[in-house]
Amino acid sequence: MDAIDVVKSNYIRELLSRGIREDMRKVSDFRNISIKSGLIQNAEGSAQVDLGNTRVLAGVKLDIGEPREDEPNDGTVAMSAELLPLASADYESGPPSPESIELARVVDRGIRAGKCVDTADLFIEEGKAWNVYLDVYVLNYDGNLFDASEIAAMAALINTKVPAYEDGKEIREKRIKALKIDNVVTSTTFAKINGSLLLDPDGNEDAAASARMTIATDGQFIRAMQKGLGGSFSKKEIAEMAEMSLGKHHELKKQIEKAR
Amino acid sequence: MASKANKPELIVKGKRLDGRAFDELRPLKIEASVLKNADGSAYLEWGNNKVLAAVYGPMETQPKHMANSSRAIIKCRYAMAPFSSLSEHGRTGPNRRATEISKVTKEAFENVVMLNEFPGSMINIFIEILQSDGGTRAAGITAAAVALASAGIHMKDLIYAVSVGKVGEHLLLDLNMIEDNYSDSDMPMAISPRNGDVVLLQMDGEYTKEELSKAIAMAEEAGKTISKIQKEALRSVYKKVSDKYGGE
Amino acid sequence: MKEIILPGDLLAETEVRGPYSYIENGKTYSMVLGMYEKERGAIVPLEGVWAPRLEDTVVGIVTSSRNSVYEVDLKFHGRALIIGGKFERFTFNVGDVVEATIKNIEDKKTIILSYPRLLEGGTLISIKAMKVPRVIGKDNTMIKQISNSAKSLIVVGKNGLIWIKGGDIALATEAILRIQDEAHVSGLTERIKKMLEKN
Repeated sequence: MDAIDVVKSNYIRELLSRGIREDMRKVSDFRNISIKSGLIQNAEGSAQVDLGNTRVLAGVKLDIGEPREDEPNDGTVAMSAELLPLASADYESGPPSPESIELARVVDRGIRAGKCVDTADLFIEEGKAWNVYLDVYVLNYDGNLFDASEIAAMAALINTKVPAYEDGKEIREKRIKALKIDNVVTSTTFAKINGSLLLDPDGNEDAAASARMTIATDGQFIRAMQKGLGGSFSKKEIAEMAEMSLGKHHELKKQIEKAR
Repeated sequence: MASKANKPELIVKGKRLDGRAFDELRPLKIEASVLKNADGSAYLEWGNNKVLAAVYGPMETQPKHMANSSRAIIKCRYAMAPFSSLSEHGRTGPNRRATEISKVTKEAFENVVMLNEFPGSMINIFIEILQSDGGTRAAGITAAAVALASAGIHMKDLIYAVSVGKVGEHLLLDLNMIEDNYSDSDMPMAISPRNGDVVLLQMDGEYTKEELSKAIAMAEEAGKTISKIQKEALRSVYKKVSDKYGGE
Repeated sequence: MKEIILPGDLLAETEVRGPYSYIENGKTYSMVLGMYEKERGAIVPLEGVWAPRLEDTVVGIVTSSRNSVYEVDLKFHGRALIIGGKFERFTFNVGDVVEATIKNIEDKKTIILSYPRLLEGGTLISIKAMKVPRVIGKDNTMIKQISNSAKSLIVVGKNGLIWIKGGDIALATEAILRIQDEAHVSGLTERIKKMLEKN
């Protein structure tokens, strides 16, 4: 965090002390969300999400491989994320940073715990199953990569079509059926600044936050949680955020499902 | 090049598989200034290629020891998204082909960017191939030129790039992936339209010297269209705001 | 008549010197994406980083202090320094926001600042340096109008960093950011005036 970020943080805190956020949102409001699915036709599924100025592109590829030894009748799902250096002056080229690894693992956790993808449906025959590879590409950073990536990942999976497999070969050009999705998980991320909890922090709010919490839910259960940054939350704050997360689920899910 | 065992006929009844004439470009669309954080950017669709290019700079050189006290340095990253190909998922990580393309792209721009204006600084060019269908290095350079201009970087010219390949005895402009995989030769070129200087050229296969001249001429002819589209992309960013307020 | 020009565009069949054009074989070409007024031969770049000039007033943040030499972050690709000493009466801490004047530019990459002044409190916003002249306005008219309407103290750095203190910071910020986005469209002054009067 450089000198300019410190000054921006102070700006955010000053606005908050007068009860306002940079873009006049309420503390419990998301920024404008737009989801465009199917943009990358080469991928078996894709979705681009704009969450305010944060832009994330998720792409899904399916490859045939051997099932895992401990799950011989299932396919697999693997996720990775890349914070592209073009997304922010603070990002560099190179091996995956701890931030990008954490991002991928948190998004993966929610979707896996929610059993969103029916992995048994990915099974083809003995020794063969579809492996689903989901890659999240961050194209422009303005805070809250967690929620933007979760939405993009879910929308991309819902948009995914499985290629045909005939006579022992995959036929990529022929996409026969939708990937079987059993559950939709959505997430909400909060930043704690001077005791206030702000939903969907933008880039400046993220820099000003002392603690951050991401909660993934399917409307009924909480599926994954991740606390980030050095600060802490009280039990009361956690209960408050969990309540809000469950409350926001339905509206988010409706938007994501349009990706089909 | 792909195995010749399953080589499809790339030219049927004098037409290419996608119906194009030998000297016809695939459809090209460019939009400038598409990213908020980057100093300059461009999104390009060329046939089925989808490319995002962005520029940061001139900025402080990182790492510091790489700075050149008398001129700016250019760093270039060309990379393909793991979901960009119609076939398998691509592995992430350094890739020799991408490294070479990054290098020749950087060298193409070193010809036209006015490096003396910002000594000690760094100009970062990023080219991300979101979807690939042959000719991605040309698409990347064409997009990056627009991104550099939209960042206000001082340049002698707006360069463009395009490839010319050979199938049988025919020279074909702008090969797509299938043509690229099964052609006898491919030659990507980047050209400065102001004076026709060739700032990037790579080739493998077999060309006579007449074919070589003819291929460069084909590229320059196509360049007139490509250049027009690049310039229009930049002009329309400013026309858009103007129109909203009925300005000049 | 203004037109949009691009790098490589032919501007004149004769030699015309300027910071945004170059000469080759007796002809003049554009180096930048900009607005060109042929009659005056004037080019105004539409984008680009700040080109520091002597006597420019800038705003920055002190990032280090060692042996009375302060390094200042001006969002510039080179270095910017305030050189103190036995006879200087200022001391700054890391994180201080300062206003200063460019005394010297060495090799286009090291800026030496003088007359530093601490700017206490307030907040900092950042805009593209290219748009600063429009934010200031002819004879400071635009910035004065914003400052009066918002009742804020504003110091505009030619490097694009702007310090605002007191009053309606959100209003001042909005006005400045709008000027940045619409700087090249005529009628801007009117629109900003209307916006400030509404509040």
